[in-house]
Amino acid sequence: MSGTGSREAGRIVVDGVWKKFQRGERHDSLRDLIPNTVGRLLGRRRDPLALRTNDFWALKNIGFEVLPGQALGIIGHNGAGKSTLLKLLTRILRPTLGRIQTRGRIGALIEIAAGFHPDLTGRENVFLQGAIMGMPAATIRRRFDEIVEFSGITTFIDTPVKRYSSGMNARLGFSIAAHLEPDVLIIDEVLSVGDLAFQERAFGRMKDVVRSGIPVAVVSHQLDRVRTLCTDAILLESGEIVKRGTAAECIASYVQAAAAERPENHTPIPGLTFGTIAILGEGGIRSGERRVMRLTGQRSQSAAIQRFELSFQLRSLESGQVVYRTWSHHHGAGVDRAGYFEFLVDLQFNLPPGLYSIETWAGDAERDERLGDGPSMRVAIEPGPTFRGQAQMNPVMTLRQGCPADPSA
Amino acid sequence: MTAPAVPPAEYLDKHTILGDIRESVVDLLAHRELLAQLTLRDIKLRYKQAVMGFAWAILMPLLVILAGLVIRLAMAHLSGEPLASRGLAGVAVKALPWSFFVGAVGFASNSLISNQSLVSKVFFPREVLPLSAVLAQGFDTLVGTLGLLVALPFLGATLSLALLWVIPLAILLAVFTTAVCLFVACSNLFYRDVKYIVQVLLTFGIFFTPVLFEAGMLGPKAGALIMLNPLAPILEGLRLAVVEGHNLLVPLAAATGPESGNLWSPWYLVWSAVAGLLGLTLVISMFRRLSFLFAEFV
Repeated sequence: MSGTGSREAGRIVVDGVWKKFQRGERHDSLRDLIPNTVGRLLGRRRDPLALRTNDFWALKNIGFEVLPGQALGIIGHNGAGKSTLLKLLTRILRPTLGRIQTRGRIGALIEIAAGFHPDLTGRENVFLQGAIMGMPAATIRRRFDEIVEFSGITTFIDTPVKRYSSGMNARLGFSIAAHLEPDVLIIDEVLSVGDLAFQERAFGRMKDVVRSGIPVAVVSHQLDRVRTLCTDAILLESGEIVKRGTAAECIASYVQAAAAERPENHTPIPGLTFGTIAILGEGGIRSGERRVMRLTGQRSQSAAIQRFELSFQLRSLESGQVVYRTWSHHHGAGVDRAGYFEFLVDLQFNLPPGLYSIETWAGDAERDERLGDGPSMRVAIEPGPTFRGQAQMNPVMTLRQGCPADPSA
Repeated sequence: MTAPAVPPAEYLDKHTILGDIRESVVDLLAHRELLAQLTLRDIKLRYKQAVMGFAWAILMPLLVILAGLVIRLAMAHLSGEPLASRGLAGVAVKALPWSFFVGAVGFASNSLISNQSLVSKVFFPREVLPLSAVLAQGFDTLVGTLGLLVALPFLGATLSLALLWVIPLAILLAVFTTAVCLFVACSNLFYRDVKYIVQVLLTFGIFFTPVLFEAGMLGPKAGALIMLNPLAPILEGLRLAVVEGHNLLVPLAAATGPESGNLWSPWYLVWSAVAGLLGLTLVISMFRRLSFLFAEFV
């Protein structure tokens, strides 16, 4: 998506934006509409600030700016107002109050195949969808071959789209969108179309766009994507901006809030009470570092279970996936004596930087039964000095220098 | 960070009707290629996987003409006068614009809700959807016009300067049809039963519009009354200009009979133009203001 140079620099300015919605079904009648419309045409309007029954503010006092070179991630729970905000940015909705200015041509990667008509061929749909996205016909003609090649469906381009698989549909849609030449780009959760190879290609494309220096706004639940793509972020909660800062900071706040809300099973375990959990030592944990986790608790005299096993797992707060889980009885440990206990686990944090939660629970070792949850904590793993990536390979390196020209000979 | 409980009032934006229209025109110009693509899509879809093909374009006008033939035969039988081929030519000339109006309004009434995913997900001026329905119907009408051009000389129409009236009349027809289409499309988005009401109105509209008959056949009083239908002066004007070679600036008095009154007056046309233009202005403004609710209601 190369710029043509002479275009004005794009920019997004959102100033004091409020948006009101109505809950439930709308049962307006013609009897309401006609006086309202006439009133509006005559320049009168009802007070838009008044909240009637079932009205609520989907967005409250939203303000931010995205300048050239910035990529803003918009994160938050479902229902926090992200999609509403995107629809306001793309002018599908108009704010109840406030101003939104987007300078330059807006490219929106939202519903990238919405304009496809099943009876038309891929070729016809490229022109149709391109026009819907605001692409001049000349540009589509010029970049048609590129678009088709990027989508990887060259041989089916003259087949009606109704014969396409959903993946082909999405790929063609994305390819068109990826060849827009916008001044401002707005991306909604479209980074997950097609198979893995295509996703990587699509993501690479998006990175190129961000690097090209146009302002970009991204809504995605794929937090690692947001982190890689975005320079800045805002965190929305119930229609308000609760945090703004770098993408990493906002993601951290978001996952911490999300982790705090994780429902824990606090049913009492007969015969066992958990105490606290902690990571010993000062400072944050760095990738590859060894640190000791301490879990405390107490076994009562009357405990019926012979041996309590203590289990824990590490969950990535970015992906929600469990990255590691183990059980104490696999390591020969179990709580079988009454009184206080201290469970120390020396762990090597061979994990990529990010936020994790450590979750613990107690089980019955004999019957392989989970009894109840123990305390959990959040840990942030900082980039370490020795490795990057998803796994520690513990390399052993040998470098021979000054050996014969072809060492394998 | 907490937001104030009540938003400040200074952000209310003001609209004027002229402002709405300027906005609409600017947006449409910027999206003219989209309008072209959507029109092309609508035309292609009519002829793809279709038995009728291009015959579709002349089927409806042809049926109207046949209906006119039946009515005229009945009239000729009652009055004892022979069936005039000129009368039939008049029906033929009016059948096309009537079919255009009916077809465009019919397609436009569904245009917004049949593109629901677009309306709720992608920004573009919503006017392009009903407008592309009008333009696609216009294409069909052009095909029909070619057929009519072949038939007219045999029905006794003559070449005259009055034929030039076809151009302003066609523009008026387009203006009025567009106004109705935008209104109907928009209403149908909010109230889904509107398209059934529209179907009924279109079906019976032919009795309140001088298509099969001529306004003059109703006598001067009722004839003048039916001219209040903004389509009536356009259709009658087309007939007079094309078949009779009549200059529409000249009033036409009832030639015979005891009644006094006008068969044609240029004021009819003025009324039609005013109704069409005023209607279009108000409808564009209404459409503009409501279009920002489309995504919430569709």
